Amino acid sequence: MNLVRAELERLSARRFVQLMLVLLVLAFAVTAATTLAGSHKPSVSELNSARAQAAEARRDLEATHQECLARQDGTLQSDTDRYFPSDCSDIDPIRQDRLPIAADFLPGVFSFAEQAEPLLYFLIAFLVLFGFLVGASYIGADLNSGGVVNLLLWRPRRLTVLATKLGTLLGTVLVLALLASLAYLGTFWVIGQTAGLPGRLDGDFWSSLGAVHGRGLVLVLLASALGFAIATLGRHTSAALGAFAAYAVVWELGARLVLEIVDARKSDLFMLSSHTGAWLNGGARFYDEQLCRGDNYGSYCEGFYTLPWLPALLVLLGLTGGLTAAAFAVFRRRDLI
Amino acid sequence: MSAVIEIEGLRKTFRSLRSGRRVAVDGFDLLVEAGQVHGFLGPNGSGKTTTLRALLGLVSADSGRMTVLGEPSPELLPRVAGQVGAIVESPQFFGNFTGYRTLRLLARAGGVPVSRVDEVLDLVGLHDRGDERVKGYSLGMKQRLAVASALLKDPRLLILDEPANGLDPAGIREMRDLMRSLAANGVTVLVSSHILGEIQLICDHVTIISRGRRVATGRVDEVLAGHDRHEFLVRVAEPERAVELLHAAELTAAVDGGALVVSGVSDPTAISRVLGEQGLWVGELTPLRPDLESVFLELTGAYEHPSVPRQVGDSSLPQGEAVIDLDRGVDA
Ligand SMILES: Nc1ncnc2c1ncn2[C@@H]1O[C@H](COP(=O)(O)OP(=O)(O)OP(=O)(O)O)[C@@H](O)[C@H]1O
Ligand SMILES: [Mg+2]
Repeated sequence: MNLVRAELERLSARRFVQLMLVLLVLAFAVTAATTLAGSHKPSVSELNSARAQAAEARRDLEATHQECLARQDGTLQSDTDRYFPSDCSDIDPIRQDRLPIAADFLPGVFSFAEQAEPLLYFLIAFLVLFGFLVGASYIGADLNSGGVVNLLLWRPRRLTVLATKLGTLLGTVLVLALLASLAYLGTFWVIGQTAGLPGRLDGDFWSSLGAVHGRGLVLVLLASALGFAIATLGRHTSAALGAFAAYAVVWELGARLVLEIVDARKSDLFMLSSHTGAWLNGGARFYDEQLCRGDNYGSYCEGFYTLPWLPALLVLLGLTGGLTAAAFAVFRRRDLI
Repeated sequence: MSAVIEIEGLRKTFRSLRSGRRVAVDGFDLLVEAGQVHGFLGPNGSGKTTTLRALLGLVSADSGRMTVLGEPSPELLPRVAGQVGAIVESPQFFGNFTGYRTLRLLARAGGVPVSRVDEVLDLVGLHDRGDERVKGYSLGMKQRLAVASALLKDPRLLILDEPANGLDPAGIREMRDLMRSLAANGVTVLVSSHILGEIQLICDHVTIISRGRRVATGRVDEVLAGHDRHEFLVRVAEPERAVELLHAAELTAAVDGGALVVSGVSDPTAISRVLGEQGLWVGELTPLRPDLESVFLELTGAYEHPSVPRQVGDSSLPQGEAVIDLDRGVDA
């Protein structure tokens, strides 16, 4: 417990952590301020006209669909140059992800229900970066400045010391992420209530937002552990940064290109970014024209394949867990100079 | 007397891609008993710091047996860590913390009452500077802070790797007084240093290491006595005639400057008798006792060719010469 307290104090005293927190608050303040400045509470007439426009748009969609169907049946012949898809179900309003709603016709009005999820994605992206960098620099700087050696002279149990550091890091990042997302969503909720439109905040909305939030937090923790593990393995903060940059350039860009050239199938499955996206969104769909090549000519082939969230999570967990275990194993025996 | 530190046959080889294998410690033995103030001497790169690191579990030894306060190290080191204060090669501290906060963190991590922090800051003379940031400290102040961190646990065994590094003359003297008072309170001290005069003043025992091996160990006075060539400096009116007289009396003597150096004499009265009987009156008769510096340079071969720049690692290995070891007798 004492060790945890000491680690907490060290972590919070790190300049880098403080800088990242300031950045977080700044980004947060800027987004909130611009949103606030660009939004106003819609008047009753604005609302009514927006509702009317939304209803009109929905009717239009329905009419187009009907027209498409009629054209297919041959019951309708007209020489408009309007475009209709070959499969009318593509434009069936029932099958659309979302239908026009009033908020779409209220320019300059912030709608919490509409914007909460993209805002949350932005926050998660920031926190993932925060976790990775703080995780890496926390152990990296300590290994380099002799802080770990000093501590080991007091507590010559390497695994306990490293585990305490990792635990303190994950705990702190989790608490920070929770507080930040609460403050963040809370602020925008208030903006929605007072200077915009709350939107439809029903159970569906909250549960889907909660799911994204929960998945995001897991991602933040994984990124923190990953930064920590790579920096421990490489004895340096920059090891983690280098590994990340190298991975992004060599694998996500270079290997993707090579895989395309050699016509590899489902090359997206080899990319961590795909798995990250699949986990965060609860699954991802990728297109690969290779899937339609060669087999059963004539039969219908969409060329899409999905990556469900569970295998994606397992890959991310396996990678992070493996690297963390390796970091502990190496740290147990390593010469600390 | 019980052994506080025992090292037997310690070997440590560093391997790196660039420079290959480097044997840092090569079958080294060390015995420090309770209550000793034990000096640990050796040229640069001879393996002192590596030995201390291995002893404290910071580097893993290739082979050898070590115990600290009776517990095998590094396996059971955690059992006694609370009683061992150590600094190994000027420790680094987090620059943004004040000296006080640095020590408080360590005290907390080690379960030492925080009130002890003020005591040790006072002890090392940092009482008034404790609430300044460490990055603003001078070299000597950082060194004092390091010593304070080692004292924080109120240790039974204190291991100090070059504690005088960067200290001013007054600081060196304070360090000496501190070590003496600790020793008087029963603390066992193992201290490495290059300031041999200082070691000679503080330590009752020494171990000298050269190229990873022990070349001498024992009580300071006995190590010195073992290298005493029984030489005397003699001043007389006619040195040349005196040399002849001494040679006639089967003594070895040579003129050195304006004086004579007579060697291999166990009883100096022989010199004054031989010369006095021939009417040559001795004006000065000084025993030329070796000091730690001359013994060190002789044992480590570090000063054989004064005109050639000596390279790190050029020191001697223990040769046929006996290692003086009080506790084990003389081994070849
Ligand atoms: N991390 C390391 N990697 C490779 N070689 C090392 C390492 N640490 C020490 N050595 C080598 O081991 C030998 C002993 O070094 P050590 O630091 O123990 O010497 P020392 O006696 O403490 O010297 P000094 O008086 O200069 O402090 C040296 O040759 C050194 O180059
Ligand atoms: Mg050294």
